[in-house]
Amino acid sequence: MSKKILTQKATDNTYYHPDFHIALNYGIDYLHRKFGDDTVREYLMQFTDSYHTPLKRALKKEGLKALKTHYEKIFRMEGADYDINFTEEELTIHLKASPAVKHIVSNGHEISPLFSETVTVVNNELCRDTPYACEVTGYVPETGACRLHFYMRKP
Amino acid sequence: MISCTEFIPAYNELFRFIEQKQGKEAVVDFWNHLSDVFLTNLRDMVAAHGIRGCWMYWSKTLTEEAAAFTMELDEEKGEFSISMKYCPSKGRLLENKDIEPYKDYCRHCDVLYRRVLEPLGFSYELNISQNNTPDCTLKVKKTGSAGKGNKDSRT
Repeated sequence: MSKKILTQKATDNTYYHPDFHIALNYGIDYLHRKFGDDTVREYLMQFTDSYHTPLKRALKKEGLKALKTHYEKIFRMEGADYDINFTEEELTIHLKASPAVKHIVSNGHEISPLFSETVTVVNNELCRDTPYACEVTGYVPETGACRLHFYMRKP
Repeated sequence: MISCTEFIPAYNELFRFIEQKQGKEAVVDFWNHLSDVFLTNLRDMVAAHGIRGCWMYWSKTLTEEAAAFTMELDEEKGEFSISMKYCPSKGRLLENKDIEPYKDYCRHCDVLYRRVLEPLGFSYELNISQNNTPDCTLKVKKTGSAGKGNKDSRT
């Protein structure tokens, strides 16, 4: 029988709790089962519009460099394997495997059929009302691998 | 991809979204569901190790979440407590001026964990800050009456 005390300050550790990917997956799955496909998309649009207001502002002001910086930051934190090609007019990201999908699957949880919308909807919504568009291709549900192509809309 | 470091705003928005769709009771239904499917690790640890399972679970999650806290375990008395000085979830929501924290945000911690611990024979007491600050206290105590948990926590 033991007695233990642990005290920590916020600065003692780095904020990185990958189990949140599992919770988000279940949130998406719950909306899907309870309300349907369109509701999942509606929720992700609402989330993007509120949380990503600063990123969207930066995208309008600084162009695709803002998205490049954003993705490099989160991919570095998540330990993702990816390639980026960037010009002023185009940004292509090849995510070789999604750290989110990897964590969910490796912990024995099933990926929601609409988990891919966290990529598609969020990026399309980020580009809405900006000079840019996004195309997601080659999404692999088992790994979350995909190619994101951001480009200038044609006038 | 939504990074796990962006989960809390997504979680907050999910509560607000579900309430907009079907009211507050639907949010609690979601919390109950999430407790059942997501907190299997807490359930397994406490089922296998008793009150020590609480220490095992929260010492990992709060370290990953970079929380500021003091955690105490007294196995002889069958007691576990957390004095949370800075909850990173609520704290980050309050600090982000683009996000409006869901008004009952902290209550998810009451519903999710109570639902796991009471059926395993523990009392669960969570005192949430009344001042909208990111602090709280949590106490878990062995009662020995497993199976009497509230499996239908509702508003």
